[in-house]
Amino acid sequence: MTGDRKPSAINNAAPTKASRTKLNRRKFLVGTGGMLAAGAFGAVPLRGWAADPINIGALYPSTGSMAQIGVGCVAAAKLAVDMVNEAGGIKSLGGAKLNLIVSDVQSDATVTRTETDRLILGNKLSAIHGCYASALTLIASEVCERARVPIITGSSSDQLNKGRSYTFTPFARASQFAKAQLQMAKLVSEQAKVAVIFENTAFGTSTSNGLKELAPGEGVEIVMFEPYSAGFTDASPLINKVKASGANTLFSLSYLNDLILIVRTVKQVGLNIAINGGSGGFVMPDFYKNVGKAAEGLQGVAHWNHDVNDDAQKVNAEFKKRTGEFAFEYAGGLVAQTFMLADALERAASADPKKVREALSTLDVSSGYAAMAPGGKVKFGPDGKNVYGRPVGVQWQNADLASIFPKEDARAPLMKT
Amino acid sequence: MWETLAQAVINGLLIGGIYALVSIGVTLIFGVVKIVNFAQGEFVMLGMYISFFLATQFGIDPLVSLVVSMPVLFVAGVLIQHFLIRRVLGPNDMPQIFLTFALSLLLLNLSLMLFSANYRTVHTSYSDEAWHIGGLYIPVAKLIAFAVAMALSGLLWVFLHTTDLGRAMRAASQNRDVAMLMGINPNRVFAVAFGTALALAGAAGSLLMPFYSAYPFVGQVFVLMAFVAVVMGTLGNVMGALVASLMMGIAESLGIQFVGADSGLIVVFALLLLTLAFRPSGLGARRSR
Repeated sequence: MTGDRKPSAINNAAPTKASRTKLNRRKFLVGTGGMLAAGAFGAVPLRGWAADPINIGALYPSTGSMAQIGVGCVAAAKLAVDMVNEAGGIKSLGGAKLNLIVSDVQSDATVTRTETDRLILGNKLSAIHGCYASALTLIASEVCERARVPIITGSSSDQLNKGRSYTFTPFARASQFAKAQLQMAKLVSEQAKVAVIFENTAFGTSTSNGLKELAPGEGVEIVMFEPYSAGFTDASPLINKVKASGANTLFSLSYLNDLILIVRTVKQVGLNIAINGGSGGFVMPDFYKNVGKAAEGLQGVAHWNHDVNDDAQKVNAEFKKRTGEFAFEYAGGLVAQTFMLADALERAASADPKKVREALSTLDVSSGYAAMAPGGKVKFGPDGKNVYGRPVGVQWQNADLASIFPKEDARAPLMKT
Repeated sequence: MWETLAQAVINGLLIGGIYALVSIGVTLIFGVVKIVNFAQGEFVMLGMYISFFLATQFGIDPLVSLVVSMPVLFVAGVLIQHFLIRRVLGPNDMPQIFLTFALSLLLLNLSLMLFSANYRTVHTSYSDEAWHIGGLYIPVAKLIAFAVAMALSGLLWVFLHTTDLGRAMRAASQNRDVAMLMGINPNRVFAVAFGTALALAGAAGSLLMPFYSAYPFVGQVFVLMAFVAVVMGTLGNVMGALVASLMMGIAESLGIQFVGADSGLIVVFALLLLTLAFRPSGLGARRSR
């Protein structure tokens, strides 16, 4: 199916007449640049190829436990594709439009594997983005690596940058999140004593390990370090432990439901502690809706925020119009990612996934929607990591997320609680 | 140290009350109708959604909406027993298992479709409140939930021990054939038992709503604990399920507090295995047997 395999007779029986003509035709089409259309349909007339839509796969959990976020991601992915297409599509490919093919990974690891496979085998894809949860993205990126289709993701696990050449991570890594969180703890108190609680998943474990390693260097003391099983019924025993630890800042690395319980329980206990909810569920509009006023002043970190620059504000306004919510980090980041893909496609002047990968690896943008990220620049290193990527520290202020850290990205002052 | 321990026990006891409502339902159905209701957790979920919508649409306090969720689920239970369960009661267990399991899947996916996977919470004036006594604190919403759960369990006990229908249910649970020979109408008894069990699940849902989020999968969190409690407290024994639920709540809390926050369930299951090793029929089994 790949289209560029050279026919070889050494280990094969002589090819039949039919397959020989097919291979010849394929070779011919490779030469003329139309091999993608040919790979799938063999006899597609050449005149149609230029404006053929470019298939972009989107893997998100739109059902299951992460459905709520996954649905938001899909909305953002559609918005991004509409934006690229309305701006004239990919000009070097005759104005070809992006065609989003959405696949539901059902918040489940096994399903993610099969869906990624199915998406790649069933469609001629130029690139994929997904899957929100690091645990799922790790699996999808493995499949993409084998199939040689580039995947671009906002997932933060550092493992995504190990031993992969088709995975691109334009935003801050989990280890960077950790550093930013620790520095934010010192905004609250010079004598930062931090309690770290994290769910025992890939996301929680990798983020918390980053925190643990970096804490001494940042002059932050970790007085409690505790994994918990996600989806508990009662946060009281955990908060009881936090109270006993004597911490003045709490880092909670959790998805939405657990975090709501944790914040509510902290209020019930009457514990006076600064809470940094990290990223994940904490920086979602739903968090505020569920926690209400108790969320005011809580801090977090994000790989994207809607106030980073004017382009981001524009995306935010449009996303709000479509969904009624502000663009959460993953949604906004996803729009930027789609524009990075568009930039790569433009320069590759080809929908071939391998060429798209090549073009992504030499991406270097500092303006436009593709560059709307904290730091404002995107350029991938050999490990697929954006060399300029950095997280932004945020705080819930008046039912909105305001960027407060670092100084260069701050759009509002820290609200003392 | 003692303060931490006391607080952990309080926390465990309070959540144990909710486990009790779910597990008493399961054990009641098992005892009387002799089937395992895998969908019990989904009825807790329905109870939560009933309270959620009454709270957001009509501003009714989740605790008050108990008077709606319990009757609604009681009627649902009677109807399910009459039109579904009754048809598969027989010498073979498999159809019953598949029926309640299918019911669970159906309710889960229907609610995903109708309510979406979003987390829904209700804010009440007492949701974030707690009483502070010395160094200890008692969350008001959970205390109310616990008190109501215990009151409902008590009422059930009184019902089972003092009314004719209650005695008939206990008789049917002890020996169905003899009970029938004594003139007890099993269909009526089964319907009431199933309805009561679902009403308890609905009550658990309404009581949870002030401090826990409703979402389609929420029942599965509680039903696992309920099954453990039912086994530990001897199958079909209401008082056993109640005691076992409270014990498990405390075990989970102590596990999280003193072993590790991801070890709550480990301690619970260790407790279950220990119980089964020394009392194979569970805590509620009669010794004389």
